[in-house]
Amino acid sequence: MMEFENIYKTYWNRIFRLCMGFVNDYDIAQDLAQETFIIVWQKLNTFRNESGIGTWIFRIASNNCLRQIEKEKRFLKSELPLHITEEKQYSIEPQIQFLYKCIAELPETERIIISLELEDVKQAEIAKIVGLSEANVRVKIHRIKDKLTQKFQDHGK
Amino acid sequence: MENNIDFKDLWKKQSISQPSINELLAKLKHFKKTSLRRLILTNAMLIATCVLILLIWYYYQPQFLSTKIGIVLNVAIMAIYLLVYNRLFDAYKELDNTDSNAEYLQKLIAIKTKQKFLQSKMLSIYFVVLGLGTCLYMYEYASMMSFLWGFFVYAVLLFWMGFVWFYLRPRQIVKENSKIDTLIDTFQRINNQLEADV
Repeated sequence: MMEFENIYKTYWNRIFRLCMGFVNDYDIAQDLAQETFIIVWQKLNTFRNESGIGTWIFRIASNNCLRQIEKEKRFLKSELPLHITEEKQYSIEPQIQFLYKCIAELPETERIIISLELEDVKQAEIAKIVGLSEANVRVKIHRIKDKLTQKFQDHGK
Repeated sequence: MENNIDFKDLWKKQSISQPSINELLAKLKHFKKTSLRRLILTNAMLIATCVLILLIWYYYQPQFLSTKIGIVLNVAIMAIYLLVYNRLFDAYKELDNTDSNAEYLQKLIAIKTKQKFLQSKMLSIYFVVLGLGTCLYMYEYASMMSFLWGFFVYAVLLFWMGFVWFYLRPRQIVKENSKIDTLIDTFQRINNQLEADV
């Protein structure tokens, strides 16, 4: 239990940002992050030190993000009206908002890859989380950054 | 390179509020309860039907073999349906959240494909066996009626079965499949992102 609390404190912010990059919706990201920790809590006793705890948790979080597509399809209709009241602005800085918006518009796996990169996860670890070769990850990160830079330039900043 | 640093900096400036751990644990409890309730609810209906049929057997002591076969068929197919349905739930448990995204997606696609197959096949088998069982079961009671009444009862029964088979069943299958198909397509598309280029 003590161990879980430590993990929760250490990883919450990082997991939340990953989810936020995936959906760009504060409330959904909050839910996804919570779900991730519920899974972590349930599975913690099965964790073996083969991979770092970080890799392990990021795998759970990113898979949970992918899984949420299923729920998205199911709840799409009921959730629509919620988005209209999008007055709640959590990050005041438009630049931050724009970055998250751009990331959430990328293809799903690219969202995960770039989020992990921005979280300073090593490329070898990203490769393990996503299930690609390291070389592949490197190329992808490069391309995604180009895309983001382009979007920022087009945005006029 | 300059942009690189920029992105990381912006990324980490996102404001965050961490809920207390108690809130998380409360959510955990709620989550456990709802998934259990869902499972119980679906099974309760089928179990109740089986119990009812067995009670009829016990209290009315059917004389004909056809009645007994009918009862056994009905109970058996319900039990099988129940089993298959529960196994679909278990399939999700096999899904390992700690796999890599690529493995996870592949398993998800496999599960969805299996689910689609089971749903449509099982639904058809379910209706066939249940129909057959009911016809056999009814025979003893219909034979006690006058020919006209017996004929009428079977006509109504067969009409209802025809309605279920030709109208309700295909609609249900189409509805379920279209949902699953969209999901399979989406997961497949995401999976392809990992295979494309380089």
